[in-house]
Amino acid sequence: MRFFASKYEFAYSWEEVSTNNWRKYCAYNDKASHVIAVDTLSRSLDAPTHILRTERLITCRQSMPQWVKRIMGGDDTSYVYEVSYVDPQAKRVTMCSQNMTWSELLQVQEKVQYTPSADAEGHTTFEQSAKIIALCGGWQKIKNSIEEISLERFRQNAAKGREGFERVLEISRQVFAQQREEARQQREGVAA
Amino acid sequence: MSASLAPECNEVKERYDTCFLKWYSEKYLRNTATTDECEPLFRQYKTCLTAKKALKERGIDQMLEEARADNKDNDAEYMKPSGR
Repeated sequence: MRFFASKYEFAYSWEEVSTNNWRKYCAYNDKASHVIAVDTLSRSLDAPTHILRTERLITCRQSMPQWVKRIMGGDDTSYVYEVSYVDPQAKRVTMCSQNMTWSELLQVQEKVQYTPSADAEGHTTFEQSAKIIALCGGWQKIKNSIEEISLERFRQNAAKGREGFERVLEISRQVFAQQREEARQQREGVAA
Repeated sequence: MSASLAPECNEVKERYDTCFLKWYSEKYLRNTATTDECEPLFRQYKTCLTAKKALKERGIDQMLEEARADNKDNDAEYMKPSGR
């Protein structure tokens, strides 16, 4: 078993981060070429708590080392199941993900939380943790190698994920400011 | 917005995602939403996925059942009303 944990702070409000989180894998993100599709499977708003629960299916395509491919089979498309919970009162987004492909050999369980920063106003704290377990029977050595490779891949994707999301946040803010400006000009143009 | 795994559903997915994002940022986060206004569009998008057998043909249906069962603990923990 391997564990991964990281913490990061985005210099954007929780509202901005939680909104853009839905389009983390959009065209603005140039670091997520391994994510080829994101589909919403269900979405429900819980009346008493106001918690928004969303199930998504994330389709990835990522190359693997040859020897891993031999164990896992040739196909490099994989599916991730993600359930997220937005609690607007507590200002907390929690996302739990797990791999569905090759899950009989390897389990990767990830948890991500976005909350308003306790240190800087208008900033958002991002906490990520993951548990990686190789299940294939037999040699411990192989299990260890698979876990090490998966952990390394996870670490790389986590770093790329942060970078890509920073870009999504930055471009979204620019686009939003531009749209507001255009709307203002239009209003003034009409008034003149 | 991101693509759908069924390319035939990209258009309806895009319409739904746009609707949702607007609702989420302008109503839901401002506590003025009582219902999910984009649900009719979501149903269209879902119908497309089902019609194209997007999940069934790829064996995703089956995998989802197991994943959902695995996620039960998270549901119990994160659907709880927060202490306030």
